[in-house]
Amino acid sequence: MQCELGQGPEALQTSSGLSALPSIGSAGAPEGVSKGPPEEANGSTKRLRVLMVEDEPADVELVLRALRQAGFETTADIAQTGKEFTDLVRKNLYDVILADYKLPNWNGMESVEVLRQEGLDIPVILVSGALGEQTAVECIKQGAADYVLKDHLARLPEAVRRAMRERKLREDHRQAQEELARSNRDLEQFAYVASHDLQEPLRMVATYTQLLAERYKGKLDSDADKYIHYAVDGALRMQKLVQDLLAFSRVGRQGMALESTDSNAVLQVALLNLEAAIREGGAIVEHAQLPAVVADGSQLVQVFQNLIGNAIKFHGSEPPVIQVAAGVKGKEWVFSVADNGIGIAPENVDNVFVIFRRLHTRAEYSGNGIGLSICKKIVEQHGGRIWVESRPDHGSIFYFTIPIKAIPKQ
Amino acid sequence: MKTQPEILMVDDNPADIDLTSEVLAQSKAHFHVNAVNDGVEAISFLRRLGKYAQAPVPDLVVLDLNLPHIDGCEVLSNIKSDPALARIPVVIFTTSQADSDISRSYKLGANCYLRKPGNLPEFVAVVQSMAEFWLGFAILPQKEKR
Repeated sequence: MQCELGQGPEALQTSSGLSALPSIGSAGAPEGVSKGPPEEANGSTKRLRVLMVEDEPADVELVLRALRQAGFETTADIAQTGKEFTDLVRKNLYDVILADYKLPNWNGMESVEVLRQEGLDIPVILVSGALGEQTAVECIKQGAADYVLKDHLARLPEAVRRAMRERKLREDHRQAQEELARSNRDLEQFAYVASHDLQEPLRMVATYTQLLAERYKGKLDSDADKYIHYAVDGALRMQKLVQDLLAFSRVGRQGMALESTDSNAVLQVALLNLEAAIREGGAIVEHAQLPAVVADGSQLVQVFQNLIGNAIKFHGSEPPVIQVAAGVKGKEWVFSVADNGIGIAPENVDNVFVIFRRLHTRAEYSGNGIGLSICKKIVEQHGGRIWVESRPDHGSIFYFTIPIKAIPKQ
Repeated sequence: MKTQPEILMVDDNPADIDLTSEVLAQSKAHFHVNAVNDGVEAISFLRRLGKYAQAPVPDLVVLDLNLPHIDGCEVLSNIKSDPALARIPVVIFTTSQADSDISRSYKLGANCYLRKPGNLPEFVAVVQSMAEFWLGFAILPQKEKR
């Protein structure tokens, strides 16, 4: 039915575009009927901006009356075609879409699709004649917020309130997520800049205190020698810390080069890098045949290197024996690095992955508590998990997973 | 008689110039280090402009990348595009480890790219081997008479 309803984007406000319909819009509802404002904003009734997908003026009037009687100060625009609808949602802000399910040229569910394409989160409530349960369920599945039968319009205000509450929750959640992501990015940026820019002055401190030590050792007094030694030691330690922090922040900043990676080769590189530590610690590293995985090879080297390096460092009374293995579990490869070292107390098995967390004094074990947090970051960036099972004095088994993926085409 | 090798060091950090000079002063060969603090000075030195009219032709340029006014890459491209200067080996000596800096430097004709080490033993080793290699072992084109 072509009627004098919205002729296009220009015929926006129903109060002007629908001259046949009386008192639509902001005319206050009788006090007694009002169930109170739908959304409180400074105590005043909040305006409800509605976009209706409807071609029947009488239905428009009924719907608006139902809302008005419930205390909504309502303004409404009308769209009868997909084009009108798209133009309107692009141009104006709406709180809710009330859509008839069946119009001659399109159906209300198409508005859900339009909103999705436009990236708009506006709840769509289907206001329709008999819909049939199956259709209704299908519409909700496809993204409609609710449906209200035209002969049960009394339900509409509550449906609107609920849809708007849910939208607000979604919006809050999205904002919280965005805020979290932004703050993580900022933190990473800060870590990067700080560690990068700290390196330069630190280099001056380290080299010149070393020069002092070299040139004036034994020429001042014994206190001076000791103080210079403290300064050199502190500078070198801070240098290592800054470098590790930089490595940590780089894991997120630099993209991953995901490709089919032979983890046997990865392990060999890690062992080569650890050659001195393995030799000095008298460590034996055994490994089974390891799979090819889709991963960033150099990052995976870091994971193995840190895990095996730790296994050597935290050895027990026996020379370290480390076993590296892998198996399929569900849709993941589960890698394990088992050692016979000092183990970790149960209360600390989660702490070990926290950045800067050290469980021992510097006199007992060197290190700055970044290694395992780098492992965690790398593994999680690959879509996997990392955890440890351990008994004090009986060694630890570190596990990490890498999802099984199709090999990307070269 | 063999003349004393001339090094031009371009660096805005006086601590690095001092340290490098210290290290070179301890080596057996007697290097002479000429130091300038920015890119404009470096180009004036190389082209013997203004107060550098009597400057020696360097046998080696040790060039930092991050310089005020004219950065190291521009100095480098100036040297390598000038037929009179292009034969002088240029060693980039910087804290930057960025791939972009490394590849850009070599593209512009840097003869070598070295990172400034963060501790003294490595710093000494790097500066000594750099000087030994470029001013000792490397065979370079003859200086043109000027």
